[in-house]
Amino acid sequence: MRRAKRTTTILLALLLALAWSGWTRAQAEMPYYQSTDFNVPILVGWQNQSADGVAQFHRPSAAATIRATMTTGADAQSAAAADLAGWLGLANLAAPVYSGKVNLADGTWHVLAHDINAERSASQLARQAGDRFIVITFLESEATSRTLMLAIAQADEMLDSPEPEIDNALRQLTQLRLDDLEAAGASALPGGDWLVFQNDTAQAAGSLFGNDSYIALREGPPGDLAALADAWRNMLLGFFITPDNSLYLGLGLAVSLLILATLMGSFAWRARALQKDLAMIEQLENTDAN
Amino acid sequence: MTQRGADPLMTASPQPRLLRALTILTALGFAGTLVLGLFVAGTDIQQGQVQRIFYIHMPSFFGAFTAFGATVLGGLIYLWRGSEAWDRIALAGVEVGLAFALINLLTGAIWARPIWNTWWTWDPRLTSAAVMCLTYAAYLMLRAGIENRQRRRSLMSVYGILAFVSVLLTLFIIRIVPDTIHPVIIGASPQNAQGTFEATSGVVLALMPSLILWLTLMPITLMWHRYRLALRQEAVDALKLKLLGG
Repeated sequence: MRRAKRTTTILLALLLALAWSGWTRAQAEMPYYQSTDFNVPILVGWQNQSADGVAQFHRPSAAATIRATMTTGADAQSAAAADLAGWLGLANLAAPVYSGKVNLADGTWHVLAHDINAERSASQLARQAGDRFIVITFLESEATSRTLMLAIAQADEMLDSPEPEIDNALRQLTQLRLDDLEAAGASALPGGDWLVFQNDTAQAAGSLFGNDSYIALREGPPGDLAALADAWRNMLLGFFITPDNSLYLGLGLAVSLLILATLMGSFAWRARALQKDLAMIEQLENTDAN
Repeated sequence: MTQRGADPLMTASPQPRLLRALTILTALGFAGTLVLGLFVAGTDIQQGQVQRIFYIHMPSFFGAFTAFGATVLGGLIYLWRGSEAWDRIALAGVEVGLAFALINLLTGAIWARPIWNTWWTWDPRLTSAAVMCLTYAAYLMLRAGIENRQRRRSLMSVYGILAFVSVLLTLFIIRIVPDTIHPVIIGASPQNAQGTFEATSGVVLALMPSLILWLTLMPITLMWHRYRLALRQEAVDALKLKLLGG
């Protein structure tokens, strides 16, 4: 009996050790930053500064930061503006220079672009999730440039190139047109292919995905705009909220335990019924013998 | 008067020490694997908590596989040697296997509701699992309906062997029929599979102890208890017949 106890203890200890090792290895394999509210992909090549439920990735070479957070507010636009102002410690934030909407599988996202001051420009995506708002912000803090990221619902679903949308965005947000830039080829990045146009003082990149065009504009010396835009889009498309379905887990467990209990209960019930039968048979035999 | 101590069919014999130890080990193992699946394994961030049902859903099928496999073995040896003990094993296999198969079927439906947005769909894997359950439920009904013991044992041995086709079909159908939405976790999933998740080392290491428990200890322990019940039943039936025969 002592030997059996020792074996059981060793087996249980082994089980726990295996599980612990699996859990720690699973954490290391996770390509997502998990806050309590949402999950976003960890951007490769970016410094991960995520903490306290806020996902934040920084790329020093481009003075760029991408941040995702869950916040409260009256509506998506005001929640996004309040989040940006709070993050940067600004008392006031001017009205956005661009405002639009895109419909993705997980809901309608509001697209906003801000010229904050001479050094900073920001682009935001915001949507409602329950009674709160998800805000994804791209911030560029370089005095020599201005970078904006846009997601635009395609006016023409048959669009096979982002060029018309790039041209529209350039006309709307800069003094430039697409004709002012030269084609700089296509960049194949993890999120898709990006068409890049540039001259010495400006750059534009565009990519189609689903029914939306993703456009990045940069005024200033050309940089790795397509890579920044791809990371921005990956953050948006890779964002998701883990569903709360623990009630179904509880139901599954309850059903499993009920079936096992019914099986074992039926064994016990039938054994007891047989015991009663046996007692009755013995009684009858005794009566006959007498 | 019946001498219980001398009862050749052990109607009132105490539980063997090995069975008692197995029962305790199985209960501890079951609790341990539940702890692993519910608290130690990481939460699947895409599926949420409901993914943890997998740690019962898949092992319960393999538990049913062991039990129904015992029915095949019992049927074959009964037909070959005519030993009643093997018929009892075959019957125990069906009762225990059916309970496990029901757990597999129902936990699958409960998982499907939040993941597939439906409790049930006539997918090849789901349909074959339902057919398997019905096949073994029919075994129990048919067995209860045959009066002649000898005929009952022979017929049910054949039935138990043939019924195993439904188990193999359920096991292999997603490898044969590509048009299924049922995911394959260990190995490549079919193209249309929905609700697939990666068998990370965390998933595998939480799954393996559960799989080993359901594959071995659980069916063996429960079948042994059911076997003893069958022994008691036969002993009581024999005494009743003796009494009626005067």
